[in-house]
Amino acid sequence: MAGILDQRFDDDEEEDDFNPEPEQGSEPDIDEKPAANGDAVHDLTEDGDGVPTKAKERDDLEVKDEDEDEKDDDDDDAEDGIDGADGAADEEAEEDEDEEDEEEDEDDDDIEGQPSRKRRRKHRRNQFIDVEAEVDEEDEEEPEEDDDLPGEEMHPDDLQELPPGADRDDRKHRELDRQREAQFHLNAEEEAERLKERYGRQSRNKGPTGAVVPQQLMLPDEKGPKIFRMRCKPGKEREVVLNIQARILERANSREPVTILSAFERSKPHSSSSSTGPNPMAGMLYVEANRAEEVIAACEGINFVFMSHKPMMVPVGDMPALLKTQKEKQLEPGMYVRVRRGLYMGDLAQVHDVEANSTDVTVRLVPRLDYGLNEDVNAPVEEILPNGQKRKRTKAQVQRPPPRLFSEIEARKKHAKYLSRQGNLSGNTWTYQNKEYVDGFLIESFRLGALQIEDVNPTLEEVTHFATSSGEDGGENLDLAALAATLKKSSAGEFLPGDRVELFRGEQKGVTGESVQVYNNIVKIQVDPGFGSLSGKVIEASIDTLRKMFREGDHVKVIGGSKYVDEVGMVVRMKDDRVTILTDAEQKEITVFSRDLRVATDSGGAAMDSKYDLFDLVQLDAATVGIVVRVDRESLRVLDQNGMAKTLLPSAIANKLEKRRTAVATDRDGNEMKMDDTIKEYSGEQKTGRVLHLRGNSVFAQNRERTENAGIWVGRHSNVLVVAAKGGKPANAGVDLTKMNPALGKPNGGASPMPPPQSKGRDRLIGKTVKIRSGPNKGMIGIVKDAGAEEAKVELHAKNKTIPVKKDMLALIDPDSGKIIQGGIQSLSMGKPPPAAMPSYAMASGGGGRTPAYAAGSRTPAYASGGLSGGARTPSWKQDLGSRTPAFGVGGQTAYGGYGGGGGGGQTAYGGATSYGGATSYGGGSVWGGGGGGGASTWNPSGGRTPAPSGSKTPAYGGLEAPTPGLSAPTPGGYQDQPTPGGFRDQPTPGGFRGAGGSYQTPAAYQTPGGMMPETPGGGGDDGPGYD
Amino acid sequence: MFFVKTLEHRLTLHPSYFSAQSQAYIEEQLYREQEGKNTGTMLIIAIIDIEDVSEPKVVPGSGLAQYDVSFRAIVWRPFRGEVVDGLVSSVISGGFFVDVGGLAVFVSKALIPPQLKFSVEGSAPSYTDNVDQTIERGTQVRLRIKGIRAEMGQMYAIGSIREDYLGPLMQ
Repeated sequence: MAGILDQRFDDDEEEDDFNPEPEQGSEPDIDEKPAANGDAVHDLTEDGDGVPTKAKERDDLEVKDEDEDEKDDDDDDAEDGIDGADGAADEEAEEDEDEEDEEEDEDDDDIEGQPSRKRRRKHRRNQFIDVEAEVDEEDEEEPEEDDDLPGEEMHPDDLQELPPGADRDDRKHRELDRQREAQFHLNAEEEAERLKERYGRQSRNKGPTGAVVPQQLMLPDEKGPKIFRMRCKPGKEREVVLNIQARILERANSREPVTILSAFERSKPHSSSSSTGPNPMAGMLYVEANRAEEVIAACEGINFVFMSHKPMMVPVGDMPALLKTQKEKQLEPGMYVRVRRGLYMGDLAQVHDVEANSTDVTVRLVPRLDYGLNEDVNAPVEEILPNGQKRKRTKAQVQRPPPRLFSEIEARKKHAKYLSRQGNLSGNTWTYQNKEYVDGFLIESFRLGALQIEDVNPTLEEVTHFATSSGEDGGENLDLAALAATLKKSSAGEFLPGDRVELFRGEQKGVTGESVQVYNNIVKIQVDPGFGSLSGKVIEASIDTLRKMFREGDHVKVIGGSKYVDEVGMVVRMKDDRVTILTDAEQKEITVFSRDLRVATDSGGAAMDSKYDLFDLVQLDAATVGIVVRVDRESLRVLDQNGMAKTLLPSAIANKLEKRRTAVATDRDGNEMKMDDTIKEYSGEQKTGRVLHLRGNSVFAQNRERTENAGIWVGRHSNVLVVAAKGGKPANAGVDLTKMNPALGKPNGGASPMPPPQSKGRDRLIGKTVKIRSGPNKGMIGIVKDAGAEEAKVELHAKNKTIPVKKDMLALIDPDSGKIIQGGIQSLSMGKPPPAAMPSYAMASGGGGRTPAYAAGSRTPAYASGGLSGGARTPSWKQDLGSRTPAFGVGGQTAYGGYGGGGGGGQTAYGGATSYGGATSYGGGSVWGGGGGGGASTWNPSGGRTPAPSGSKTPAYGGLEAPTPGLSAPTPGGYQDQPTPGGFRDQPTPGGFRGAGGSYQTPAAYQTPGGMMPETPGGGGDDGPGYD
Repeated sequence: MFFVKTLEHRLTLHPSYFSAQSQAYIEEQLYREQEGKNTGTMLIIAIIDIEDVSEPKVVPGSGLAQYDVSFRAIVWRPFRGEVVDGLVSSVISGGFFVDVGGLAVFVSKALIPPQLKFSVEGSAPSYTDNVDQTIERGTQVRLRIKGIRAEMGQMYAIGSIREDYLGPLMQ
C-alpha cells in the first residue's frame, strides 16, 4: 500500500482521504467492460487524476467495500436530482428507482453488519471480480442470479455469456445520466469537498475508539472553512447578521445562492455601558466561508457593513476562542432588571416582554410621575438665548418624583387632557402623556443596552412593589421563579456540614446525601444508600448543582433571603427547590426556597431579639391594650382590646404589661374566670379559647385552631362563658404534697382562722427623732413629720426645712443621748417587715424586759393561728396566763408559752400576752401598745423594742397559718426538756420569723434547724439537737 | 404506637404529710401527675404498676422528702410515617386539624388529595369531593403523620391523607 502511495504522488490526496471516488468510476467500468472499453476510459477521465481505478481499488480494497454503500446512496441522490431537475422522467429513471430500492435493501443488510456471503467470497477473488460483483448488486435480477448461480455469477465470462438484454441497455442510459448529472451538478472542487466530508465521517466510524471523538480532534484546521472578519457599524452587528440570513433565504433557490456557511457576531449589546467595560467586539462581524469572495458576495449591499474593509481571515488558532460561548443570561418575562439611564435610572423593572430580536425589551416600572404638580406654570415656555440656542434647563434641580403606582385621579387633577383610557375592558390600562400604564405600572420599551441584567439583586422591598399587584393567591405573593432567576446564585455559605442535599443537575442528578464538608464552592457529600456504587461514598459537587433537601414534616427555620426570615415551621410540600412550610406561629403556609431553610431544633419559636414576645400584653396608649400576635424583626402585629389588629413598630408600644397570673374576672354568668380557663363566646361566633390575659373588661383568649391573629381573639367579660376551669384541674388536682398539709392547717374545717392583722393609722415613726445616715444630708438630725411606705419627711434640726428622705436612709436615735437605736427604724416601719430581725433581736436579748415581749410578739399570734390542738387557741392562752404548765400540756405550741413563762423576766410580757387573749384585738397594732403591761412602756425608744417586733410581726403572722404546726410538731419535745429560760430568751426563733419576712409561709424558714441552732446562745449547745 | 415503658419520676413530700400514709400519698400523687401526661415525645396513657418507691430522702434546706418512683406505664408515642386514626376537630381553608388522642395533627391543603375541595356551603366548612368523601368537624379520618414537633407538655404534628387508603373513614 505504502509503496503505491510513494509511487503516485498525485494520488496523495485521495489516498489520505480514502477517496472512494474511483468506485464511482468503477461501476460503469464493470458495466462497460463486457460491452465496450471506451466507457472505461471515460471513467478514468472522470476521476480527474488519471489514476487507474483498479490500482486504487487494490489499495483500498477494504475501504471501498464499505464505501460502496454510501457511494450508492450518493448516486441515488444524484439521480433523484436529475430526475427532478431535468424532468426527464423516462423509463430508465423509473427503473433506476426500482433499483435504488433494492440497493437500499441490500445496503440495509450491510449496515446491519452482515456483509453478504457473496461479498466475502468476492474478497477472496481478485479485485476485478469484486468490482463486477458490485455491478451485479445493482442489477435488479441479481438476487435471482445469485440464487441460480451461486458459484459462477461473478465470473466475467459468465457475464459475457449473458444475453444482451434490456437491463444492460438501462445501465448504459443510466450511466450517461449520471455523468451528465455529475457534470451539471458538481464541479471538481465541490466534489472533492463532498468526498472529503464523507471520508471524514468514515474514518470516524472506522476508528478504533468508536463513536466518541475527543473534542481536541474536532478543532478546526486549515482544511476546513475559514472565518472572515468584516467590519460594520458598532451596535448594528446583530442586524447585519439577520440581514445576511434573510439574504441567504432569499437567494437560496436563485442562480447564485449565498454560499457562506455561517455568519455571527460577538458583541454584547447589553453590556456596552461603562460599567462592564468597553465592548471589544463591537463593530465586528464574522462570516464563515471557504473563500473570501463568498463573504463579499454575501455582505455586499447590506446596510451598515463597511465593505471598504477587506475580509480578514481569522487565524485558525483563534477560531475556537472566537466561537467559545459564554453562558449568557436569557431574559425572560418576569425577570427583574435595572434601568441604566434616564428618569428611572437604577430603578427595578420587571421584564414584560422581550422582542424577537432580543434587543428591545418591554418592562414594567413603577412610574415616577408628578402629574404636573411641580410644573412652574408661570415659567416662560422656552427661553431663546441671543445666539438662537435654547437655554438648557438645569435638570439637576428638578427633584425626581418618588416611585408610586399610577393614579388616574392624580393625573386628572392637572393633566386630564393627557389622559385617556385604553379600550381594554378587563384591565386598568391608561395612556398618559403618550405612555402606557397598566394596573398602575408604566409599560415602557428599552433597548437591551439600557438595561442592567447582571447583578440586579432586587431588594425585597422593591420586589414587593411588583408582587402586590401580581399576586392572585394570597399564599405565594412573589413570583419566586422569576426572583430566583434574578437573584444571585447560591453561595457557599448556605450549605453547612450536616445539611441534606440533592444534586439536581449534572451526571449525578438525583443523588442525595449529607454534606460532610464545605469549602469554597465545593461540597463534599456522603451519598445516601441506594445509589449503587456511589452509596456511602464521599463525592464532591459544586454548590450550583446542589440544593438542600427536606422531607415533609421537617421542622425548619427560614434563615434568609426572604421576608419570612426567622419563621419556623414544618415542611408540607417540596417542589423542586421551593418548599412550602406551615409556620408554627400562625399556621400559615409560606413558600420559600430550600436554600433559605435550615432544619431547626425542636425548640420552636422564633429566636428574635425583640423586646416583645408573642402573646405579650402591651399597652398601646392610656386606654388601649393589645396582645402581640406576631413578632417580626422590625414590627409587631398587635390585636387590641377592640379586636383590631394592627402592625406597629416596637417603638409605638408604650410598655409591656406583665401577665397577672392571679387575675380573676367574672364571666357573663358571674362565674370566676381565671388564666388558662377555657371560655366560649356567648354570642357571635361562639369562639372558644384558653384565657391568656384578663385586662380591664377584656379577655384575650387563644384558640390554636384559628388561623387569624395566631388564634388570638378578644372578648368582653360579659360576653364569655367559662366552659372549663383550667382544664378541669381543680376537680382532680388533689392535694399538693409539696405544700403544707391542709388537713393539718385547718382545724376549723377550713375556716380562715384569723384575719390578717394590719397596722393602720399613724405611722409610728412620726414624731421620732432620726438621723440621716447617708445622702447629701448625711449626719443631720431631725424629727419625722410624716411617713409613707418608703419615704419620711424629716424636719431638720439644723435648718428650718422639711425634706423627704428614704426611710432606709434614716436611723432612729435616742433624742436624749443621740445614740442610734439599732433596727429602730425597721421596727417602727408600718406594714413592712423589717429586712433583718437580728438587730432587734440583739436588743431583745440585751434587756431582760424584752424577752417576754418577744415571746409574746413572735409566738403568740403564731399559736393562735396555727395551733394544732384543735380548739380555739385563745382560751388556752388565757389559761396560760395562770400557769404555763397546762399550756405545755396542750401540745407543742403551748410549749412556747411555757417557755415564755420560763423566762423569768418574761412574765410581764405575758401580760402582754393576755391582751392576746383577746385575739380579736389583733386587728389593731395599737392594741399592742395598750396590751403589753410592761410592753406599753417599751414604746419609748429605750424599751421600745418589744412592741416593735410585735407590731411588725403580727401582720406577718396573719399570713402565717401553715408553718407553725410544722414547727409545733418537733418543738415540744425539745422544749419540754429545756427549761432554760435564758435559752429561750436568746432563742432566735423570732428572729427567724422576722428574717423570713414575706416568706413566713415557707416552712423552710421556720423549720430549718440550722436557722435556729446557731442562734441559741445558752441552751443552744445542748438544746439545738433537741430541736431536730 | 403503644408501648409499655418503665419510667421514673421524682416526687417530693411536704413534712406535714409524713405519716404512715406517706407511701399512699406518693402513689396517689404519682397516678395523678403522670397519667395523661404529655412528655413532649409521648403520652402516658396509664400506669400499670409501681415497681419501686425509693427510700425517701430529706432534701437539705427544705425538709421535703424526696421519693424516686419507678413505674411501668402504657405510653403512646406517635412516629413519623405512622398511620393513625383521629377525629377532625376543625376545618379551615388551609387544611384541617385532627385530634389523635392527645396529639393535634394538622393536615395541610398540600397534603389533601386535590379532588377534595374546600367548601363552606351548608352549615360547616368541609373538604369534600361532592361524591362520597366529606371531611368536616367530627369526621373520623385516617392519616399518616408526616412530622412531629415536640414541645414540653405538648405535641404537634402535620399529617397527610394524600395517599391510598387514607382519608375519611366510612362510618
